Parts: sequence; C-alpha cells; structure tokens
Amino acid sequence: MGCFFSKSRRKSPKKDSALPAGDESATGNDLLESSNGNQEAPKQYSWDKREKVDPKDFMLTGLKNETVGRLPGKLNGQQFVIQDCENCNIYVFDHSATITIDDCVNCRIMLGPVKGSVFFRDCKDIKCVVACQQFRTRDCKKMDVFLCCATQPIIESSTGMKFGCYQYYYPDLAFHFKDAGLSIFNNNWSNIHDFTPVSGETNWSLLPEDSVVLEYMPLPDPESEFKSVRISTEANRSIVPLTKGGRRTESDESCLFVFFAGDYTTANARKLIDETTTKGFVLIQTKEVSMRPEDVNRVFQNNAESLTEWITKGPVVALELNGDGVVEACRSIANEVFNGTKLFVSESKNTSSRDVDNFFNFADMQMGL
Amino acid sequence: SALFTPFQGLLSILRKLKSTPDQEVRILLLGLDNGGKTTLLKQLASEDITHITPTQGFNIKSVQSQGFKLNVWDIGGQRKIRPYWRNYFENTDVLIYVIDSADRKRFEETGQELAELLDEEKLSGVPVLVFANKQDLLTAAPASEIAEGLNLHTIRDRVWQIQSCSALTGEGVQDGMNWVCKSVNAKRK
Repeated sequence: MGCFFSKSRRKSPKKDSALPAGDESATGNDLLESSNGNQEAPKQYSWDKREKVDPKDFMLTGLKNETVGRLPGKLNGQQFVIQDCENCNIYVFDHSATITIDDCVNCRIMLGPVKGSVFFRDCKDIKCVVACQQFRTRDCKKMDVFLCCATQPIIESSTGMKFGCYQYYYPDLAFHFKDAGLSIFNNNWSNIHDFTPVSGETNWSLLPEDSVVLEYMPLPDPESEFKSVRISTEANRSIVPLTKGGRRTESDESCLFVFFAGDYTTANARKLIDETTTKGFVLIQTKEVSMRPEDVNRVFQNNAESLTEWITKGPVVALELNGDGVVEACRSIANEVFNGTKLFVSESKNTSSRDVDNFFNFADMQMGL
Repeated sequence: SALFTPFQGLLSILRKLKSTPDQEVRILLLGLDNGGKTTLLKQLASEDITHITPTQGFNIKSVQSQGFKLNVWDIGGQRKIRPYWRNYFENTDVLIYVIDSADRKRFEETGQELAELLDEEKLSGVPVLVFANKQDLLTAAPASEIAEGLNLHTIRDRVWQIQSCSALTGEGVQDGMNWVCKSVNAKRK
C-alpha cells in the first residue's frame, strides 16, 4: 500500500549497528522516548485543519492547442502547476505562491506575479512573461523570457535561453505585484547564473533590445474567457520600468537619483523615468530597499546629515540614469519638477559614478544573504 | 621548570572557558534545489525570509537553541553540485533533509538522493530529521504519505523523524528542532 518513490531500494542496513526495535510511530522511530513510551496524540497544524481543496483546480495538465489559464481572483495566492502542455497559450492573470512548469512544448505562457519561485523543468520552445521572487530552470531548451525577478535568476542544464526586461500591463497587475510581495523596482533580469556553463559557448543571452513582446506572447483569443482582460504590452505602459540592465551603454556618465519614502514615491519615480527618457536618457537599473542610519553615511557620504531622518519612513527607491549630460539634466528636473520632495541627486559627473557604485553595491549586499 | 605547570594549568582553564565543544552541534541541511533549505535556515535565525536567492555555494549560520550552539550548514541542492555534498559530511551531528512536499514530480528524485545519503559511510549512524516542507501549499502531500514513499520505516541504523512544516510561516519548525536537540542529547549521554 502507498507508493514507493525510489526505484532502487536501499541496500540492507548495517546489521552490526542495528538499533533495538523501538516503538515506531508514523513519524519516527521513537527511540528517544522513555521506555514506558508516552505516545501523545499527533499534533494538529493549520494544514490539518484547513478545508481540503481539489488539487486539480490548481493544475493545468496534458492540454494541447488550447487557450487556458486563470482570470484575476481565481488563484488568489495559491500554488499553481502546469504540466505536459503542447502548443498552448497559457495566461495566469493572478498572483500565486509558486509555480512549476514541467514537460511543456511550444507554449506561450504569461505568469502573474509569483511570491516564491517559478521553476521550469524539461520544457522546450517556450515564450513567456514572468514576474517572481526566484526564477529557475533545469533541462530546458529554447526559451524566450521577459522577466521581472527579485533575485538572481538561475539556469541548469539549459540551452538557448534568452532574457529580456519584463514588459506587461493589465488593470490588476499592480495589485498582484503588491499581493505577491514583489517590488516593480527590484528586477534582476539580465544577470543569469548558469550552474552548467559550457566552455566556448553560452547557454543564455539577452533578447534584442527592440523585441516586440506581442510577437512572443500574443494577446488571448478574443473568443476566450480572457477577452475581458485589458492587456497592454506597450513599453510606456509596463508596470515594471524597462531597464537596460547589463546591456552596453553609449555614455560613461551616470547619475544616482533616490526618492525617500513618501506617499507618491512610485508615481514620482515613474515621472522621473518619463522626463528623462523623453530627453533621450537611459534607465539602467532601479532598486527599492530599506536603509538604516548607518548605511546613509556609507552610501551618501558628504551629504548624509539631513538624509538620516528620511530613511526611517520606509524603503527608498533608487534609479541609475545614463547619458551625456544626465547629471545636469537630473538636477534640473529635481529643482523644477520635484521641488519639496525628499530626494537625493548626484552633485556632479565627477562624483556620480561613485554614488552609483556605493548605492548599488550596498543594495546588493542588503538583498543577498 | 617551576613556572611552566601553573601556566599550563591556566591555559587549559582558559581553553575550557573559551569554547565548550560539547555544546556545539554541527547540522547539515540538505535536499533538492528549491526545497526551502535556505528559508529554513533564515527562519531558524529569525531573519527576514521575503528575499531569498537560490544558493550558489553554501550558507552557514550559528543559532542558539536550548543551550546548544547549532552550526547549520545549508548546501546548494542543484543536481550539478550534489557531488559536493560529501565535502561537508565529516563530523555532522545531525542531518536535516528538506523536501518540497508540494513538488510531486520530484518525489522519486528526492527519495533517491536521501537513500544515497543514508548509505554514506561518513554519515553512518547520524540522526536524520526529514522536514516535509511547504505544507502551506495546496498540493502538499502529508508527512505520512512522504514517509511511506521514502521507506523511512526501513531505517534501522539510526534514529529518524519526519516533521511536517512550513519554513515560510515557521509552523512545525520548532517541533522539528526540538527533536534535533533531543537526538543530540541522547547521543552525547
């Protein structure tokens, strides 16, 4: 009775160190209990008491040539499983706890914000849009991924993997990011760790910068249940700001711009991105991170005094902008557009690259273990 | 000489005060990648668990628990780096094996890895705690089902325990660690 997971049985145990037959319960060989073995009733945990659901409601299995998925509100933070699908367009328009995708071929997959990990195994010819805490693959081949990942993505035994910056919008998406505990400003999409690098080859690369998301992840069939979801894949509507990440830049001049916590921090950051990209400057990276008073001195150095009080209100949002003349432009914008807002801007192009390094090195340390 | 003996005596007292080796416990935290080992480690250390990155090498933390100093080694579980697990076997007091109870696709694989660990000479007799983790997830198999699938009842050469938990919420973790401390006490009597 029961299923035996392991194909090869264990070798017979070492007889000379065999322990006396003890009082065996379902959970242990209770050899640590006293000899009059007081067996307590097994402890009840929250998962023992909760209402049982049918796991099949949270799985997509064995589908072919279909448009499937979940509408907003249908998952509500639960786990989701996708397996054995072929030539499907899969849309998960809700936030979830974790998603595994196994043995799928030629699918286009849109995954709403995932609180934990997204793990692709044994998949081939996949185009996807994914937002998650951790991104993992194993034994995958030919995947194009528009990614928002809070930590360093990893691949293992995978080839032909291509990555671009997350670019997507639907009305509830911003809420789903919040529900999943993900910040739109923490996106490590372009620096992938490969557990199985091959010398002379690269298993991963970046998607062309001008990639059109719609050509990878089509809109849902207008006859499907998803017709009510108002999607946009336009760059300027993306919930996650488009960052250059590890791509090469034209200019050596960068500027650090930091918004301290307040009611309009996100809106302000978007406004800044708007103002600067209109002027032809480039957004390299962003970070949303909490700072402590001792961090302020180290990161902002000479400018620290007034800032120490501001960091106590909540996490800061930092942006690195790039382009010739970007520091001067940012200082102008700070004066004209953000007068009165608690912020930090690099003083000059002589000090700005040090500002950028100090801040983002600090942020990386903070967010590592 | 006459000066040597009291000096040597003083040194040995100082050594005893500095470290109490009996109270230090070496714990090895293993299991497949994505099982929740690092989340468990951070939970044990009462640290923030909302921003954990896949482990590329290993993590190590020291945690005080019930009078013991637990030195916990959390080793990356990707298939490619499992051969390195054996570098950490020596002097392990307790093995904690973490299973993603909601990843049914990989039950066979995790069963296989655990079976191989239990056959390792350098881990012979070492108590093993199996955490049936991620019980907060919908499709999680109960600990009893996992124990059966792993053939835990055939283990005769060491003490073992399976404990359901959610490393994310912390539920069940302390119960597992209580067993760990008990098993260390038993061994050191």
